[in-house]
Amino acid sequence: MKDIVIIGGGAGGLAAALEAFDPSLDIMLVEREKHLGGILNQCIHNGFGLHVFDEELTGPEYAERFIQAFHDKKIPCLMETTILEIRKENDVFLIEASNKQDGLFTIKSKSIVLSSGCYERTRGQIQLPGERPKGIMPAGSAQRYLNIEGYLVGKDVFVLGSGDIGLIMARRMKLEGANVLGVAEIMPYSNGLTRNIVQCLDDYDIPLYLSHTVTDIVGKDCLESITISEVDADFKPIKGSEKQFDVDTLLLSVGLIPDTMVLESMPIALHPKTKGPTVDQTYQTSVEGLFVCGNALHVHDLVDYVTDESKRAGQFAKLFVQKPFKKPPSPIAIEANQNIHYVMPSSINPSVDLDTIHCAYRVTTKAEVGEVTLAQGDHIIKTQKVRFMAPAEMEHLTFTLNDLINHKDPITLTMEVIK
Amino acid sequence: MYDFTIIGGGVIGTLIARELSRYEGKVLLVDKENDLGNHATLANSAIIHSGHDPKPGTLKAKLAVEGNALYDQLAKDLDIPLLRTGAYVVAHDDEEINVLNDLIDRAKANSVNDYALLDGDTARKADPNISKTIKKVLSLPSTKVTYPWEIALAAMENALANGAEYRLNYEVKAITQTATHFILENQNGEKLTTHAIINAAGTFADLVAKMVESNVEYTITPRRGEYFVLDKQVKGFIKHILYPVPSNKGKGVLLVPQVHGNILLGPTSNFQDARETVGNHASDLEQIREDANRLADGIPYDLIIRTFAGLRATSTHDDFYIQASKTVKNFYHVAGIDSPGLTAAPAIARYVIDHLLQPKHTLTKKTHFNPIRKKPSVFHTLDKQSQHDLMKQNPLYGHIVCKCERISEAEIIDHINRPCGSSTIKGVKKRARAGSGLCQGGYCESDVLRIISEVKKIDKTRIDYYALNTPILREETKVKK
Repeated sequence: MKDIVIIGGGAGGLAAALEAFDPSLDIMLVEREKHLGGILNQCIHNGFGLHVFDEELTGPEYAERFIQAFHDKKIPCLMETTILEIRKENDVFLIEASNKQDGLFTIKSKSIVLSSGCYERTRGQIQLPGERPKGIMPAGSAQRYLNIEGYLVGKDVFVLGSGDIGLIMARRMKLEGANVLGVAEIMPYSNGLTRNIVQCLDDYDIPLYLSHTVTDIVGKDCLESITISEVDADFKPIKGSEKQFDVDTLLLSVGLIPDTMVLESMPIALHPKTKGPTVDQTYQTSVEGLFVCGNALHVHDLVDYVTDESKRAGQFAKLFVQKPFKKPPSPIAIEANQNIHYVMPSSINPSVDLDTIHCAYRVTTKAEVGEVTLAQGDHIIKTQKVRFMAPAEMEHLTFTLNDLINHKDPITLTMEVIK
Repeated sequence: MYDFTIIGGGVIGTLIARELSRYEGKVLLVDKENDLGNHATLANSAIIHSGHDPKPGTLKAKLAVEGNALYDQLAKDLDIPLLRTGAYVVAHDDEEINVLNDLIDRAKANSVNDYALLDGDTARKADPNISKTIKKVLSLPSTKVTYPWEIALAAMENALANGAEYRLNYEVKAITQTATHFILENQNGEKLTTHAIINAAGTFADLVAKMVESNVEYTITPRRGEYFVLDKQVKGFIKHILYPVPSNKGKGVLLVPQVHGNILLGPTSNFQDARETVGNHASDLEQIREDANRLADGIPYDLIIRTFAGLRATSTHDDFYIQASKTVKNFYHVAGIDSPGLTAAPAIARYVIDHLLQPKHTLTKKTHFNPIRKKPSVFHTLDKQSQHDLMKQNPLYGHIVCKCERISEAEIIDHINRPCGSSTIKGVKKRARAGSGLCQGGYCESDVLRIISEVKKIDKTRIDYYALNTPILREETKVKK
């Protein structure tokens, strides 16, 4: 019987494992791929680590620091092993795993930290009209082919969606000699980090079409052309605004979704906004002993934040096996109100009083200056002015249990646009 | 020289090939695509209807009812999945209830005797998500669901095992008739000779017929149908196939539970000129939602994982057109096979033998025909002992490539190597289901590509997505050019 099993050896899993490690505990990490590091391995651009290390690293460099520390501590790990399903019977997690050495087998554990990352939203999920030829793929898939395997998927490229991977890949394919004709974004603002708009599009004269989407795809076997149209306030295409591009590749950067497929048979409520599980401030789900962090919980903009969050999840998992804390009958809810898209965590377990409670949130609208207020009824817990807020960027705030007036009324988070 | 050449490798052509392989003689099937069952067989509602719907007295009515009955044996022989869902035709008001009564009369006339008229609450007890506004349903318990594409694959595999042959990427461009036989010529000028031709070319049937006949009695007018697929997480959302009452546009938008746990929504119905261009249209997709909302409440549209479209080979003849040519000897039409074509398919294949070929050709039964085809094992569905045994033979069963559908490397290799195997990304997807799940191949496509490249010993830049010359990888970047 393991004390803690960490699922996923990317940024989240490595940070959680390093924090959960204790010579007195039996912990193990399980990774599906041949190498630790997860998706960082294909992110060969720089910009990682500014918050955690105060320096700018590439994805593989960032991963390497954690992999090194992981190996130094000699934390056991199972590589090239896929987790198929998780069940819980009599307070014990039964983790169904499969690999080439042992076939199908079951790992038993007292607790789990799930950090299985996220997957890319596909063409089917956004129901793009048009034909279905070869040449349309998620930007991350093209990134893997290019950066891990060394193959270019096309020469004339258009990108739908201004998510960070799309922006990074627009530049990456341009550098590799492809002709990148543009990026279309259905929203009136970009969904990527501002620095990526500047460094990936502006610096390379790649046009960004805001309030535009793909309205037709032509090509029987191979992609031949796409049409984009401007959309109105209801996201309906405006007739007469069509622009056609002859391309052999359409990359999709239209969103990431937390990958919690292994939890299929667990009674877990998914958060309607994040599409990941709901957790309290210990990153524990509604199932006792099951912790979730990183992009499997909610999609982050910066890996540094994945690291911070996963460290905390690892610490709580360790605390859980050493001195189990119970789930309260009625946790304190945290609600996202005016101009707030969601808050993570979505509840507080008042019986776990450590030090600081960390909240991550996203806003629904841009604000040059916004006033963010955390309140419990009429009682203002905290209010602060934040500069340059945007839906694409995650914000953070902290408070303590002592700041609350009681342990029952819901906490609300709001943002008022000052400028 | 072949005795019989079938043009078209859909469910109709392949089942005819299998029926013909019961008899002595050389049988060939040709298809212009890079895989079998690429058109209507790949994109349809997957339903084996009860036969209640076609106009009494038509070939459609006769063959649908016969075909439905034949599926039980066919599924056993070919090891193909059947999901016995039953179906409800739903009515919201008196006018629609009148249509249900008309349908009962039709069902009786077509000898479909297994039906019941239920009130809405009774239906909702069995299937709680059926729309609250539904007042009556016509229950048709013999309606079932299959995986149509696998029928074409299984039928061709079985036909091959019994001596038939097939050729892909053979597009018939010209047919010449001599005193004794036909000469077929393809896009590359490659010729084949055959005594008889069975034209099962789907939306191209009339064009193929025109190569030999001056006066073809039908024209194919392709009718497009578009669909949504919901992820298999929705399994159990509805248990029956739900039909609206039929209209002049056909059976309407349906909700169909699928054999792999997904639910299909569609199809729409729109005539178009192009015979194989099948894109999705925003207007059709909107219409599906609107129509589907009349069938069930709370459809989880956020679980849509895929959209697709297919073409029905509707003809100007008001029925299936299954006849010997009136002017050209040994040329047989199996055309205009739109709904209920899948249902009727096994009966059509028998009908072609019994009514078209038997009277004019000497057909001698083989002594060693083997009707059985076994499908490759789906590792994750096996019991522990069988899994253990397979793992011992081949550890690659332990390497999960597609985690959404839990498909191992060993299974993928098996599907590449089988007699009707495929070495394209989509070919593997259709056979092994790797890439059919929630992520639609985002996780596993590069691994499937590697496996195909290793098994076939060909460079990764030469692995096609589906059709010939559709490589996913354009060029290697880290080599000297």
